[in-house]
Amino acid sequence: MSDPIIMTDKLTQSFDGVRAVDSLTLEIAKGEVFGFLGHNGAGKTTTVQMLTTLAKPASGTARVAGHDIRTDPLSVRRSIGYVPENVRLYDTQTATENLLFFARLSGVEAPQARVAEVLDLLDCTYLAHQRVGGFSKGMRQRVGLAQAILHRPSVLFLDEPTSGLDPMGIKMLRDLIIRLNIEFGMTIFMNTHLISEIAKTCTSIAVLSHGKLVFHDRIEAVTARYGDDAALEELYLSLTPVGRLAGAAA
Amino acid sequence: MSDAIMTPAAVAPSPIRTIAAKDIRDALRDRFVLIVTVFLGIAAVVALLTGAIALRNDVATYDAAKATLLALGKSAGEIKAPEFYPLRLLRGAIEQIEIIGAAISILIGYRAAASERGRQTLALMLTRPMRPWQFVAGKALAGIALLAGGLALVLGMLTAVLHLSSGVGLVPDDLLRIAIVWGVAVAYSACFFLVAFILTLHMRQISHALLAAFAVWLTLVLIAPQVGDTLDPDNQVAGGVFAQLQISKPDQTQIMKGFATFEALRNGIEEASVTKHFERFTFAVLGIKSTYTGMALWPVLVEMTSNLIWIVMTVLGLGALALALPLNPDRLAKA
Repeated sequence: MSDPIIMTDKLTQSFDGVRAVDSLTLEIAKGEVFGFLGHNGAGKTTTVQMLTTLAKPASGTARVAGHDIRTDPLSVRRSIGYVPENVRLYDTQTATENLLFFARLSGVEAPQARVAEVLDLLDCTYLAHQRVGGFSKGMRQRVGLAQAILHRPSVLFLDEPTSGLDPMGIKMLRDLIIRLNIEFGMTIFMNTHLISEIAKTCTSIAVLSHGKLVFHDRIEAVTARYGDDAALEELYLSLTPVGRLAGAAA
Repeated sequence: MSDAIMTPAAVAPSPIRTIAAKDIRDALRDRFVLIVTVFLGIAAVVALLTGAIALRNDVATYDAAKATLLALGKSAGEIKAPEFYPLRLLRGAIEQIEIIGAAISILIGYRAAASERGRQTLALMLTRPMRPWQFVAGKALAGIALLAGGLALVLGMLTAVLHLSSGVGLVPDDLLRIAIVWGVAVAYSACFFLVAFILTLHMRQISHALLAAFAVWLTLVLIAPQVGDTLDPDNQVAGGVFAQLQISKPDQTQIMKGFATFEALRNGIEEASVTKHFERFTFAVLGIKSTYTGMALWPVLVEMTSNLIWIVMTVLGLGALALALPLNPDRLAKA
C-alpha cells in the first residue's frame, strides 16, 4: 500500500451508551476510491462525521491528509471536501452564488474564476445562473459535488452520493467520481449501500457492522475471490446482521 | 482544475462577513422578512393613527367647550387645554414592537437555524476551514442586521406619519429620542432572535424549539409584565388607590412598608422580564409615561440606565451563550 492518506486508530464513538463506532482501525491509501459499506445504523455516517471533524471521537484518533482530527481540525478541513446525503443548498440563490459562498468560506483565491472552472469541469455551466430551488435531485447533487471540490481537496467524502438518483444520474455521478480520482488524484471516501456501484467505482472496500470493521480489502482481491456483483452481494450480506438473518430464515 | 491537488493557503479571510452577507441576500429574496416588517409597520401605524384620532377628539372636545364658554361670555382660561406631545402617540406602536416585534424576532431566529439544518448546509459550512463560533457569529450578525433594518423602516415610517399627522412637526430632540428607541428596540429584538436561534440550533426537534421559544416569549412578554402590573396595589383602582383615597406621600410610604416582601416579589417578577425594561426605557425616553413627559433627555437617560443595562446585558449574555455552546453533530440536520 502507498502512503495512507486516512488512518484511524481505535476510533470510537458512543451515543447513549451504545457504541456507534467501535475501535475502528483503518488505513486508506492516497488515490484510492474507497467504498464504505454497512447496514443502516452501522456507524458509517458517524465515522465520516469524525473524519470530517464534525464530531469529536469519544476515544481513539485519526489522521486525514497528515493532520490529526483532534488537534488540528482546521488543517483537516482545508484538505477535505464533503457532500452529505441529500444536500439541498440555498434554494433562492443561483448555482454560482451558492458556489461562490462556499469558495469564500474555503478561502479560495479568485473564487469567481474557480467557480466557473468547476462548473465547466462538471458540465454544469448551463446551470450557473439558475436558482437551485428549481433543480432536479441530480442537478443538486452535481452542484453539491462542485462545492466540495472548489478548494481542490486531497480527500473527498461522499455520504450516500447516489441516494435518490435515477440510473442516468447515478452513471453521471460515477463518471465524475472516477474522473476526479484519475485526473486530479483525489482520494474518495464513499459511504454507500449500492453493491453494484462499489464494483464499478471503488478500488477498495470495507464493511462496517454494528460499529465494527468486519471486512477490508482491495476490490481486485474481492472480485477475484468472489466473482461478479451477485457474489459480492452475497459477501456483503454474509457480513451484516440483516443478511445473516435472511440466510438463517432461508 | 488544471493543476494538481493543492490546499488553500490560509483560513478564509472573513467567514463571519461571508455568512452574514449570504444570509441577508437569502432573507431579502425569500421576502419573509420584508412581509413581516410590512406587517409590523402596518400594525404600528394603525396604533399611531388610533392615538392620533383619540387626541383629535380631545382637541375637538376642548374646542367645543371653549366655544361654548366664549359664547356664554366667560373666559376660556377656566378649562385646561389638552397638552400635545407628539411622541406620546407612539405608545401603541411601541407596544406593537414589544409584543409583535418580539414574536417576529423569534420567527427570524428560528428560520436562521432551521433553514441550515433542513438544507444540510450546516454540515457543509462546518467542514470548511473556520471555527464553529464564526458560523454562529455570522448568522447572528445577519439576523440582527435584518432586525435593525426592519425596525428602521418601521420607525422611519412612524416618524413620517407622526410628522404629517401631528401638524406641529418634530424637532431634532424628538428625532434623537426616536433614534435611541430604535437602538434599544434592536437590542430588545435581538434577545428574542437569539433565544429562538440557540434553541433551534441545539434542540433535537426544531418544531419543539419553536414551541419552547414561544413559551419564553409568552412568559417574558405577556405573563411577567402583566403579573407585575396586576399585583401592584396602587393599580387596583383607576387613577391609583392612594390618589383616590387622597393619602399623602409620607402615609403612602408608611403603608407600603407593610408590603415590603410582597413588593419585592412583585417587582422581581417585573424585573425578570426584558420586555418590562424595554417598556420602562422607551416610555420614559418618549415621554409616554406622564412622569417623564416634557422632561429633558439626559436626566431621563440617567434615570433609565439600569433598564438599559439590563437589556444590553441580556443580549450580550445570550450572544455569549450562542457562541460558547458547542454544536452537537446530532443536530446538523433537521429532525
